[in-house]
Amino acid sequence: MSLPGANGGRATARHEEMSAARSDAPLAWTAGASALPWALLPASLFGLLVGGLISVPLPWRVSWRWIPALDLHFALYVDGLAAQFLLLITGIGTLVAVYGAGYLAGDRRRWRVFTLLLLFMLAMIGAVSSDHLLLLFVFWELTSVLSFLLVGFDHARESSRKAAQQALLITGTGGLFLLAGIILLAEIGGSYSLRQLIAAAPAIAADARLPAALTLLFIGAFSKSAQFPFHFWLPNAMAAPTPVSAYLHSATLVKLGIYLLARLDAAFSDLPFWEYSLVGVGTLTAVVAAVQTVRERDLKRILAWSTVATLGTLTMLVGLPGHGAALAVAALFFAHALYKAPLFFVAGNLDHGAGTRDIDRLTGMRRHLPWTAVAALLAALSMAGLPLSFGFVAKDAMTLAKVEAGVFALVSHATLFVGSVSVAVAAVAAIHIFWGRDAADRTTHPHEAPLPMLLPPLLLVALAVLFGLRPTLVDPLLGAAAQAIAPSFDPLQVDSSYDAWPVAEASIATLVFGVLIYFGWDRLHALLDRARDLDELGPESWYWRKLKFVHRLAAWLTRRLQHGALPGYLLTLAGAVTLMLLAALLVAGAEAAWPSPAPLPLPVVGCALLIAGGALAAVLVRDHLVLLLVSGLVGYGSALLFLFTGAPDLALTQFAVETVFVVVAATTLRRLRQMPAPLPVAASEARWRPLALLVALAFSLALSALLLLAAGLPFDTQLSDFFAAESLPAAHGRNVVNVIIVDFRALDTLGEIAVVALALVAALPLLRRAGRS
Amino acid sequence: MGPRALLAEIFLRVLHPALLLASLWILLRGHNAPGGGFIGGLLAVAASAAVALTFTAAEARRRLPLPPTPLAALGVLLALLSGLPGVLGGHPFLTHLWFIVPLPVSELPLSTVILFDLGVYLAVWGAVGGFCLSLLAAVEAER
Repeated sequence: MSLPGANGGRATARHEEMSAARSDAPLAWTAGASALPWALLPASLFGLLVGGLISVPLPWRVSWRWIPALDLHFALYVDGLAAQFLLLITGIGTLVAVYGAGYLAGDRRRWRVFTLLLLFMLAMIGAVSSDHLLLLFVFWELTSVLSFLLVGFDHARESSRKAAQQALLITGTGGLFLLAGIILLAEIGGSYSLRQLIAAAPAIAADARLPAALTLLFIGAFSKSAQFPFHFWLPNAMAAPTPVSAYLHSATLVKLGIYLLARLDAAFSDLPFWEYSLVGVGTLTAVVAAVQTVRERDLKRILAWSTVATLGTLTMLVGLPGHGAALAVAALFFAHALYKAPLFFVAGNLDHGAGTRDIDRLTGMRRHLPWTAVAALLAALSMAGLPLSFGFVAKDAMTLAKVEAGVFALVSHATLFVGSVSVAVAAVAAIHIFWGRDAADRTTHPHEAPLPMLLPPLLLVALAVLFGLRPTLVDPLLGAAAQAIAPSFDPLQVDSSYDAWPVAEASIATLVFGVLIYFGWDRLHALLDRARDLDELGPESWYWRKLKFVHRLAAWLTRRLQHGALPGYLLTLAGAVTLMLLAALLVAGAEAAWPSPAPLPLPVVGCALLIAGGALAAVLVRDHLVLLLVSGLVGYGSALLFLFTGAPDLALTQFAVETVFVVVAATTLRRLRQMPAPLPVAASEARWRPLALLVALAFSLALSALLLLAAGLPFDTQLSDFFAAESLPAAHGRNVVNVIIVDFRALDTLGEIAVVALALVAALPLLRRAGRS
Repeated sequence: MGPRALLAEIFLRVLHPALLLASLWILLRGHNAPGGGFIGGLLAVAASAAVALTFTAAEARRRLPLPPTPLAALGVLLALLSGLPGVLGGHPFLTHLWFIVPLPVSELPLSTVILFDLGVYLAVWGAVGGFCLSLLAAVEAER
């Protein structure tokens, strides 16, 4: 069964047949009904949140003790910024569940998508409400893992697997940098609490290690939020089913990095390093993504690149100083979710109804998908930032922020270009696809999507229109978010009523350029296609080269180490241990004192001779069975030695183990000898021999020397004294060894027997297979 | 199945129960004298291996109180459970409790330790025994 979301731009006959069958009304209704339980949790969380926001003033704090010894608390803190995110996470989460019910109707694996989406939602909620940085990190990594599972949902396709792997490798590696940054920052600031770090910011700013900590944090946040040079994973992640793309890769997950930056902005916004890094990287990302947008023909990838451009713009805005920038970040967060998610839904509807996302094959669709066309048009208005849309409010805030911060002309021109491409993308999504002539060469008749796939986009664009007409409705929300980003911000001064003139100026320029790009789309596309060779220099091809290198390295190592010759394995193992022993000798040998020789008791000498005799015989004997028996001498000799040196328990155990081992191994060996030798191994074995002798000698010498040294060290008897003294009074036992096993260190023993039992479970299938063949 | 070893079969009739009894005795005396669950379990494995070598691995498996995997699992479970009474009494997990039962002649100390050590015994018997018996069964199948 193939998924529309994973179908690329091309439609297959099988897919079209399937989606035609899927749009049957009864099926759609049952699908809608079956999605109810999945939409219920996000919907009720959303309701709770809205109720809470109305009745309980922000910020909310909750803290549970988790591991007090590590200063690790389950500390949650919800302020305006977190509340805005929570609203988006639960609100869009509800809509995505409803949409997914229609989109995945009839797909037997939809439960997996829904389960993963729910888990993802919970992880996101955790990430944006954590006050403790390590807690945030845990949730952050969870979102990466869930994103991996969702992108690779259609795991039978190689492109899905590769995209999932790429997303995980990049965001996962970034996560490790983030962890390093968090630890360093906490070392500098003396706390893992975001609140306390922000409060201590003036003291932190002077620390020389701060740029290093911030760079590490940047790498983590940039990889998560698809900033240059980590940006390329996001468009590839479009291999995920469309509801997943709309939710993770547009509305929530990819904003997490920027969320963290916006959180920390309150502490570091005054640092030039902070401002220049964010403005530079954000602008660069936006420009690169805007150029890449024009190179695509697949609507979903076009939307993905334009998402990357928006993320770049957000990063830039976070970096800009001033109150206006804080407000602009909040407004753009909100506006982007309200227009980009519907556009992804539109792409899903087109895929579902027309069987393709290729913009060359999609024209005049308004006749076939009228409601989808309405959603696309209204979302596009907002995306283009036309007056009376919510996108206009965001654009207004952005323009004012740039004026207030006094950005460089270069950044200003860059944002003009990025804005124009946004306008062009909006025009492609709304006009090119839905208006214009209907291309006739189609095998099936395109059809409108079922209700569950129409309600979510229509609801979101309706909200965008409402907020566009009455922007003051969202003022409290944006104000609270902006105050969280810039603490000195006064939420009461927010007034989203239009401040016409400078904004109109910028708007008109963006619009004009946007229309030009729209009409020149094909020519630009062809032009950029000719510069394809430049991709070789880009970070994505670097990624693939490095990945190939890792594969080659792994293959080389495997060939070198897993050659299949047992003598070689033993040699590698013993050789490596010998090197470590020698290193230990070098380090410790200089200081340690060699013990003075003391006469040994006669039984001990006898045992030592027995062991040495057995070991020597094992080297000389050729017959395997005899070899086993003489090696048994070593075991029994050791057992006797334990007996004479006052460890009867150890001796008994050793006797029992040795007996069982020799008997079972002898039985097995007898059978092995009856089998024909698979390979003439003698020749290759002889080749190993000189080296093996050398390693064996070095190993035994080094080990003996280390043991002698260890015996020469002063022995700390504190523990054994304690056990000997407490065994009878505290644990009612005279056998100290047994008391340690079953009482003092019972938890260790429990772990050991669990491992023994698990080893049996692991070995049984292998043995059964051996018995069968 | 190879030629029957009559002498061994007769010998085993006594040896098998004797070995098992000895293993139990070693298990129980362990707290105050050399012995305990590990050694007792290994001795029980030796008893099973003796049966497997004299008769067949299947016969040895039949003489186990439970199939190997459940036996090992029961052992781990018993050890786990022995830690719970202590928790219920407000102590850390695996704190053992003692009840001294007075008898006319002497007194009988009962403890969750016995339960724990029995768990170790069963886990070793089930796991190591199961491993040996499966290996021997595989060898028999080759014949």
